Amino acid sequence: MNGAVLNRLKEEFGAVRAALPESVIGSARRGEALEALCAQGLPGTRDENWRYTDLRRLEQARFAPAQAQAAVLPPLPTAPEGYVRYVFLDGRLHTDADAPHGVVVRTARSQEPGSTPWRLEARLPEARLALLNETFATDAVSIDVAPGTQATGIELLFVASAAATEGASYPRVRLALGAGARVSVIERHLGRAEAHSLVNSAVHVDLAAAATLTHYRVQQLGAQAAWFDTLSAELAAEARYDLLAVGAGALSARSTVHARLSGRGAAMSLAAAALADGQQSLDLYALSEHIAPHTRTEQTFRGIASSRARAAFNGKVIVRETARGTDSRQSLRGLLDGTQCEIDLRPQLEIYTDEVRCSHGATAGKLDENMLFYLLSRGIAPEAAQHLLKWAFLEDVIAKIAPRDLRRQVETTLLGQMRDLDTLKELL
Amino acid sequence: MLTIKNLHATVDGQEILKGLELEVPEGEVHAIMGPNGSGKSTLAHVLAGRPGYTVTAGSVHFKGRDLLALSPEERAREGVFLGFQYPVEIPGVNNVYLLKAAVNAARAHRGEPEVDAFEFLTLVREKMRLMRMDDSMLSRGVNEGFSGGEKKRNEILQMLVLEPSLAVLDETDSGLDIDALKIVAHGVNTLRAPNRSQLLVTHYQRLLEHIVPDAVHVLVKGRIVRSGDRTLALELEKRGYDWLIGEAA
Ligand SMILES: Nc1ncnc2c1ncn2[C@@H]1O[C@H](COP(=O)(O)OP(=O)(O)OP(=O)(O)O)[C@@H](O)[C@H]1O
Ligand SMILES: [Mg+2]
Repeated sequence: MNGAVLNRLKEEFGAVRAALPESVIGSARRGEALEALCAQGLPGTRDENWRYTDLRRLEQARFAPAQAQAAVLPPLPTAPEGYVRYVFLDGRLHTDADAPHGVVVRTARSQEPGSTPWRLEARLPEARLALLNETFATDAVSIDVAPGTQATGIELLFVASAAATEGASYPRVRLALGAGARVSVIERHLGRAEAHSLVNSAVHVDLAAAATLTHYRVQQLGAQAAWFDTLSAELAAEARYDLLAVGAGALSARSTVHARLSGRGAAMSLAAAALADGQQSLDLYALSEHIAPHTRTEQTFRGIASSRARAAFNGKVIVRETARGTDSRQSLRGLLDGTQCEIDLRPQLEIYTDEVRCSHGATAGKLDENMLFYLLSRGIAPEAAQHLLKWAFLEDVIAKIAPRDLRRQVETTLLGQMRDLDTLKELL
Repeated sequence: MLTIKNLHATVDGQEILKGLELEVPEGEVHAIMGPNGSGKSTLAHVLAGRPGYTVTAGSVHFKGRDLLALSPEERAREGVFLGFQYPVEIPGVNNVYLLKAAVNAARAHRGEPEVDAFEFLTLVREKMRLMRMDDSMLSRGVNEGFSGGEKKRNEILQMLVLEPSLAVLDETDSGLDIDALKIVAHGVNTLRAPNRSQLLVTHYQRLLEHIVPDAVHVLVKGRIVRSGDRTLALELEKRGYDWLIGEAA
C-alpha cells in the first residue's frame, strides 16, 4: 500500500516540480525532502503514534498542489480587533497586508529566489508530513519580529477551497521572535463547507531569549476536509510560548506538536480543545522536550466525542538529563457522549533526571448525572443541559482565548457544531 | 397544592418510600422531620422527578394535576422548585446565566416573552442583597468554589428569583451559621403567599423558630408516622425519634 502511494507521490512531484516556486523552496531541496520522506515511508496506523489518526485521505489524495485559482473566498469571520490579517487560499497568499511595526513578513511574492528558506524537520522525531509539505509548498509566510518589539497582532487565515482530487494545499509558516520580542498570532484554518480538501500545514516557531509568543490555532475546516499538521518550536532562555489549539472542523485531523525547551527557564503552555461529532476523528500528538534546567511546560486537553467520533490526545513529556529543576504539568480530560464514540488519552512521561516536579492526570467519562439533574430541576431542557455541560467542559481552554472577538467566534463555531445555537446563546 | 397518596418509591431496586401520605394546602408551610435515612431526600427527589427514583405505586397531584406524568424540566417550569441538600457545583456554567435561562424556560412555558436583561439583573442584585451575597458570585460558575453556606444561600436566591408555587427545601438550614440561618429564613418568609406552598425538610427545631410552619410531619422508614402543629417539633427535640420508630414498626 505504502509503496504504491509513494510511487504515485514521486510521479506527481516529477510532473509539477518545474512549476513549484523556487523562491519558496529550491527544487533541489524539495527533491531531498521527498527522498527523505520515501526513505521513512508515510505514517501508518501500525505506527505507535499514529494509531488514532484517520489516514485514509492520504491514500486517496492527489498530493500535488491545487492549481492557483481566481476562486471567490467563502465568507470570512471578521478580523479580530488589533490584528493584521493575511489570507491564504489553497496555500497561496490571497490578501496581503501591511506588516506591523517592527515586523517583517515575507511570502512567495516578496522572497528573493535563493533567500534562506527554513527547514522544519531538522530535529523533529516525527517529520514525515512536514517533509511532504516541504516537497510541495506553494507559498510560505515568514514572520520576523525584531528584538524588543511589542508587535501588533497578526492573523493568518488559511482557506481551503479545492477538493483533494484537484490537489492539496500546503500552508507553511515560520514565526521567529527576536530577543525580548512579544507578539500574538492567530492561525486559522477554514474552508468551504462541502470541500473534500486535503490540507497539510507546517509551522515552525523560533523564540529567542525572553521572547513571548501567544499563538492561537483554530481548525474550523469544512466537515469533509482532512487536515494534517506539523508544528515545531524552539525556545531559548526565558522564552515563553503559549499555544492554544481548538479543533472543531474537518472529518479527520491530526496535529503533531514538538516543542524543545532548550534555553534555561523557558516555559510553554499548550491548551487544546477538541469537539468531535459524527464520524470525525481529531488527533493531537504533543511532545514537550525539556532540555535546559528550570524549564516549565503545561499541557491541558479537553476533548469531547459524540456519536461515532473520536478525539485523541497523546501527550508526551521528556525531561532530559540536563533539565534539572523542571516543572511539568499535564491535565487531560475526555468526555464521552454516546456509546460508539471514543476518547483516547495517552499521558506519557520520560524522565532522565532527578530534581523534577511532574504532575499529570488523565480522565475520561460521561456527563455527570448530578449536574444534569440539577440543570433539569431548574427547567433547562435535557438537550440544552447536555450541551451546556459540554460547553462548560471546554471552558477551561476556551476561556484562555484573550482576544474577545476571537473567543466569540470560536464559541459560535463550537455551538454551531453542537447545532444548538439558539438555546445556548443565552448562556454565553 | 400538593397531594400525595400511598406513595411507594424504589431506588436501585430498594423500596425507600413505603406508602407515604401527605397533603400540603395552598399557602401553607409544612416541615418534614425524621431520622437519617428515613427517606426525606428521596421524597424530595421523587417530587422533582430525578431519574433513577422509580415510583412503584401511589399518586402525586400538584395543583390538581398528575405531577408524576411530567418530566423534571416540566415540573420546574410548572413551578416546582427543589432546594438541594447538596447543591451541585457546575464549573464553567455561569451562575447568573443559569438563573436567567431558568427564568426564561418558565416564561416560555407560560407563553411569556423573555425577561429583559437589565430588569433581570436588577432583580437578581436586589435578591442577592437580601441574601447578603457578594456580587462576585454572579459571575462565578454555578456553586463553583462556594462554601457550604454560600451554596445554600445560592439555592434560596434561585428560589426567590424563580418564585415557585411549591418549594421543596431539603435541609437548606444544615451547615448554616446563626446569622445565615436568619437570612435564609427571612428569604423563605418573603416568599410566603396565599398561592404558594413550601415543604421544608429539616433536622432542627431552630429553623422552625424563624419559619413558623403550619404543620410538622415525621417521616420514619418511608412513611409519615405522625403529623402535628409546631409543638411536635419541640417534642421531637426533647424526646428524639425512638418513641416514633417503635410506633412505625
Ligand atoms: N442509590 C441507592 N441505592 C440504595 N439505597 C439508597 C440509594 N440512595 C439512597 N438510598 C437509601 O435510601 C434511604 C433514604 O435515603 P434519603 O437520602 O432519602 O434519607 P434522608 O431521610 O434524606 O436522610 P438524611 O437525614 O441523612 O439526609 C437511605 O437508607 C439510603 O441509604
Ligand atoms: Mg436527606
